[in-house]
Amino acid sequence: MNLLLVLTVLPILSIGVCYFVHIRKAQYIISLLVAIVHLVCSYIVFSGIYIPAENDFFRFDALSRLFLLILSHVYFWVVLVSYSYLNRPLVVKEEKSKKLYFTMLNVYLFANTLALISNHLGVFWVASETTTLSVAPLIYYYRDEESLEAMWKYLFLVSVGIAFAFIGFLFLVLSAGGTVLEGQQLLVTSFTRYATLLNPIWLKASFIFVFVGLSTKIGIAPMHPGDIDATSNAPSPAAALMSGSLRGTALLGVLRVYQIMVPTVTADFARTIMIIGGIFSLFVAFVFMFKVTNYKRMIAYSSVEHLGLITLGIGTGGIAFVGAMLHTVFNSLTKVVLFLNAGNIHRAYRSREVDSVWNVLQAMPWTGWFFLFGFFAIIAMPPFGIFFSELMIFQGLLTKPFLLAAVLFFLFFIFVGMSKTVFRMLYTAPPAEQTPIITEKFEITHFASLTLLVLLIALGLSMPSQLYTLVVQISKDFGILL
Amino acid sequence: MENVLSILFCLTLLYLVITSRLKTYVAILRTQGVLLSAIMIFPFMRHLSVHILIIPLMSLIVKAIIIPRFINKIIIDLDVKRIVEPSIQPFNFLLLSVASMSTIFVAAHVLSGYTPIEPIPFASAFSAIVTGIFLIIFRKKLIVHVVGFLILENGIFLFGTSVAAEMPTIVELGAMLDVFVVVFLMGIAINKISSTFAKQDVTVLGKLKD
Repeated sequence: MNLLLVLTVLPILSIGVCYFVHIRKAQYIISLLVAIVHLVCSYIVFSGIYIPAENDFFRFDALSRLFLLILSHVYFWVVLVSYSYLNRPLVVKEEKSKKLYFTMLNVYLFANTLALISNHLGVFWVASETTTLSVAPLIYYYRDEESLEAMWKYLFLVSVGIAFAFIGFLFLVLSAGGTVLEGQQLLVTSFTRYATLLNPIWLKASFIFVFVGLSTKIGIAPMHPGDIDATSNAPSPAAALMSGSLRGTALLGVLRVYQIMVPTVTADFARTIMIIGGIFSLFVAFVFMFKVTNYKRMIAYSSVEHLGLITLGIGTGGIAFVGAMLHTVFNSLTKVVLFLNAGNIHRAYRSREVDSVWNVLQAMPWTGWFFLFGFFAIIAMPPFGIFFSELMIFQGLLTKPFLLAAVLFFLFFIFVGMSKTVFRMLYTAPPAEQTPIITEKFEITHFASLTLLVLLIALGLSMPSQLYTLVVQISKDFGILL
Repeated sequence: MENVLSILFCLTLLYLVITSRLKTYVAILRTQGVLLSAIMIFPFMRHLSVHILIIPLMSLIVKAIIIPRFINKIIIDLDVKRIVEPSIQPFNFLLLSVASMSTIFVAAHVLSGYTPIEPIPFASAFSAIVTGIFLIIFRKKLIVHVVGFLILENGIFLFGTSVAAEMPTIVELGAMLDVFVVVFLMGIAINKISSTFAKQDVTVLGKLKD
């Protein structure tokens, strides 16, 4: 059986079914089945049991396989909790949004899969633009003023950003002028093979445009605002998807261009740009962590922080690159836990403002504890995975002590700012009027959180050899010898 | 011939800068759509085939007919005030655009010495990209932002033709479809914005911040 076909055609079929069948339960079951099959296929590809043959348009190299697994993993949990999420009574207006919800999720899966396995940068561009289109209706789920503004800003900013990325890809075409690649298709494999022949000036220009353009989607400062608005106003499962996998898809675009640049003289230039972007993102997260009054925005800023850290790790190279790849995995899983539980808090308190939330641990013990552990995981408390990946990034940064000092400074204060907010939500005593005691049952979101947290600890304590060999393979592809 | 069409394309940009009527914006979009399709057909005039004609025809339909119609419909449906209030003096805007365009043309001329680019289409494309961004920055109406985005996309399209980027037909069609859907979604969003807020300006979108 052709796995490539399964990975791409199945979501398309599911889009059709979800669009025409209006029974929500049926939509859910179909989407969940597709998510499970997708997860199994991604795992088969990930572990190297069976890898589909490469062709001009698609390839399954180590990088694609890792990101593909992250995508289907995050997607599976999001779909799993979606049904119970949709059944929550919150606002009347969202009834309309619910009809399109699963259809859009499937479009999201299809577009992201296509983007991740594409070898042709044109295909990548089309697919990643489609991912933006698929999340836009999801951001507008609540149909209020804030979500409308968030959707408009996200759609506009990211579309302009992606247009810039396209200019970057066209510069790549220009860089091939006068070489064997002239007039050839924009294939990552062939450009990597003849990278040393490419014109370095156009390569640099290309990287700047691609990096700045896709930054709007990755959430690298200073292009992050659209992303923050979107993730904080989208419903929690969609926010988890965006933070968990969409940012990774955009990052892959930058990595592809970087991969072409690695063997050339321009590699250092790209690294410097990525280090600057990363450190600036950490700075922005550090500043805003003390300013945010909205807990979902806080988690969104935490995404800016972690994607900044990942970019920094990639830019630093060496062991930090390995750390960055692992960090991508761990960050995605942790963000799912945080956003799902933030969604539970939002449902109970009907507000995203920190000031209107109190005493979560007592009112909603399950959610409270999982949120707390999710917080521990994201601030890199051992034994959660992020601790180990951050350690590797720091180890790589040892050669640049000033940079390391700055990173540690920012991370420490981000930790202080974030914990102030989180503990305030969890422990503050209720004001004069009594909180309604909410008796909370163990729900499917809690099951997802529990599994993911256990997985994060397990991955941190004993790294599966498959993951490790794959990450080492990616590092080799990027010219890093360990 | 390609150069002549590119220069015409550039002139539409200058007209875009000084006009303040929404109708003219739509007309300019239409003209640019026709010009772009013509630029794409010219290199293949000698040996035309159905396969080569697919993309120019599609771009003619999408860029010169469907999208301008859609924008016109939004303007009429929402009864948007037909005159755009700029946040910059028209003359200053013209000065700024001409200055940046001339810089781009000079830069393109210099660059063409080093790399195999066609300076005039290349510079026209970049002028469109810059003008699109200026339009987004200096105008307040959301519908004009959409026009700015489309001008930017037109510029990229021209750029793609000028560097002779080899894209498979399916990718080009996908890209065109994507742009169309983006504009479509933006149109829906503007519709919603006008029914939620009193104005369709960027000024109403200031709720989300820290």
